[in-house]
Amino acid sequence: MSHAPQPILDPALAPPFPQAALPMLRDPQLRKNVAHATDVIQAKRARLVAEKPDWQALRASASRIRDEALEHLAAYLEQFEARCMERGGVVHWAADAAEARAIILGILREENASEVIKIKTMTSAEIRLNPYLQAAGVKVFETDLAEIILQLGELEPSHIVVPALHVNRSQVREIFARSMGLSDLSDDPQALTAAARHYLRRKFLEIPTAISGANFLIAETGAVAVVESEGNGRMCLTLPRTLITLAGIEKVLPRYSDLEVMLQLLARSATGERMNPYTSLWTGVTPGDGPQRFHVVLLDNGRSAIRAREKERQTLRCIRCGACMNACPVYRQTGGHAYGSVYPGPIGAILTPQLSGMQHAQSLPFASSLCGVCYEVCPVKINIPEILIDLRAQVTNQERGKAARFLDPMYLGMRVANVLFSRSWLFHAAQWMGRIGLGVFTRKDGWIHSLPSIAAKWTQTRDLRGLPQQTFHSWWKQRKQGSR
Amino acid sequence: MSPTLAARAAILTKLDAGSSASGGAIRAESFPRDYVRHGSLDADARVAKMIERLREYDAEVAECAPENLAFEIAAQLGRSGRKTFVAPAGVPREWLAAGFDWKIDGDLDTEEIEHCDGVLTACFCGVADSGTIVLHHSAAEGRRVISLLPDWHLCVLRASQIVETLPEYFDRCPEIPALVTWISGPSATADIEMTRIKGVHGPRFLNVVVVKEQGIGNRD
Repeated sequence: MSHAPQPILDPALAPPFPQAALPMLRDPQLRKNVAHATDVIQAKRARLVAEKPDWQALRASASRIRDEALEHLAAYLEQFEARCMERGGVVHWAADAAEARAIILGILREENASEVIKIKTMTSAEIRLNPYLQAAGVKVFETDLAEIILQLGELEPSHIVVPALHVNRSQVREIFARSMGLSDLSDDPQALTAAARHYLRRKFLEIPTAISGANFLIAETGAVAVVESEGNGRMCLTLPRTLITLAGIEKVLPRYSDLEVMLQLLARSATGERMNPYTSLWTGVTPGDGPQRFHVVLLDNGRSAIRAREKERQTLRCIRCGACMNACPVYRQTGGHAYGSVYPGPIGAILTPQLSGMQHAQSLPFASSLCGVCYEVCPVKINIPEILIDLRAQVTNQERGKAARFLDPMYLGMRVANVLFSRSWLFHAAQWMGRIGLGVFTRKDGWIHSLPSIAAKWTQTRDLRGLPQQTFHSWWKQRKQGSR
Repeated sequence: MSPTLAARAAILTKLDAGSSASGGAIRAESFPRDYVRHGSLDADARVAKMIERLREYDAEVAECAPENLAFEIAAQLGRSGRKTFVAPAGVPREWLAAGFDWKIDGDLDTEEIEHCDGVLTACFCGVADSGTIVLHHSAAEGRRVISLLPDWHLCVLRASQIVETLPEYFDRCPEIPALVTWISGPSATADIEMTRIKGVHGPRFLNVVVVKEQGIGNRD
């Protein structure tokens, strides 16, 4: 087991991305685990996407459905609330994380609940619900296999769909053997899964209160849908007396039939399955079937502000499939912890700075090569590179306002470049001087391996090709003269 | 005003400020839905695809003619080596094969259901494209809990209930159901090194009897 210090997934406290990424890049086991998991999911996804001739049409419709929901979000939320309450649900509204935590604890107090079972929900990780409830004396039992691994191992999630993908089987064996008292447990995934089933079975049957997230809220009917694989979700949604669902306000779909698009895209994108083993949908309270007390907590926590920004609004289309992180060349090197947030990868790089305020997570919009693969795989067509560039501009504009920046070499360099690039004679002169200047550093192989001063930031991680003997301009001129 | 009502008012105000809608009225937007709505397979091929996809996700599938259904159910129950089964009150009496212990659910205690070895239910629909069985939890499909706790689920699917695409399922809903469970294979996880493990908390075994009625699916 690696003994690296625990990563910090709080955007207000986490170190900048390049700094946070270093311990990850130096951990060969972690990199191997992340590479293996993302390779496997990507290969499965690619095969199943290829068998859908209408994949692009599904993506187009999905993005329009999500846009429609976001455009009329207030009206759809009110419709959801009204329908859900008609069917016996109780709807609460929380402006921020603190309000949501207080509402949930209040319900648990009313229920005299000292224990609660929980379905994996990234939204609850976003509001740091578990430590809050534990501190208030409520014992929280995660029931998703990956979440059990993290909870018992006191580890942090590194992916939104497969949160423990950075942990391998022998690490899981060690965690389970220690915390479940099973010293002769093998590291066979089948045996580890059986241990988790045994560990949770009585808890499902006996703990009368559950907390879930939501994949979709259906405005038309007031229903909630949860997508899962193991059946732990069905247990939590069916057996307890009381169910509390925490959902971001952006999770609304206008109509029940919109699921015909979303369910075709979600599992294929998330886990490379035609359909996940179980999807549950329920509407308020059904007499005789499932929890008889049902609460929904609708969480804003920065979402309404994202919606108000024209270009960034599409961030809220996200259905949390994780395809962008599996495909991202940066995430695949660093894993999720470097992003300093429970939302890692490309979607995290745009969501985290917006949710936590632009004063935090300023390095995240730069944690990308802008290769565009995240946009290509996104089932709801979020143009992540476009938003990254926009957020970069916002960060730069904020920095530009600060007086100290005028002496910053990077800032000075950009000012000089601005002058040079806007006058062609200056540009040509600079090229001529650059060829002479860089020639000093260019080795026989035609590459520059190291540069002094601020330029060393470039060459410390990569080589730079030396400038060619001839510019395109002069070659073009020569060519024209030759052909005449 | 309670805190949650104050939050409600604040959130809705912020959302209205950024919206082009007036007065909260929703007008449904029309946009192209160019994805495949209706499948292209004939009935026999549709059934064959359903069976193939069910098997791909580790479900056991048996096929039978309508007149042999009771016999096939009894055979499946016998082969399972299990004794005590739960069934919803709405399943036909002839499905409840003699020689087994039957618990008929209305409001059975959770512990009683937990001690059953298996469950027998009908279903609302099968979606061939993804090998998915859809339960609406009607009287013959049962409460959610009975198809969850027992380790072995035997589900009867009629060929006429099989559609090719997911949108075709939505077209078939006479009204919007309040409770739905979409089941695609037995419960599974890939949380440890992406190795697919069959059977976590839900039934570890899913058996499906496909009833080939009205000559559908009898090509071979």
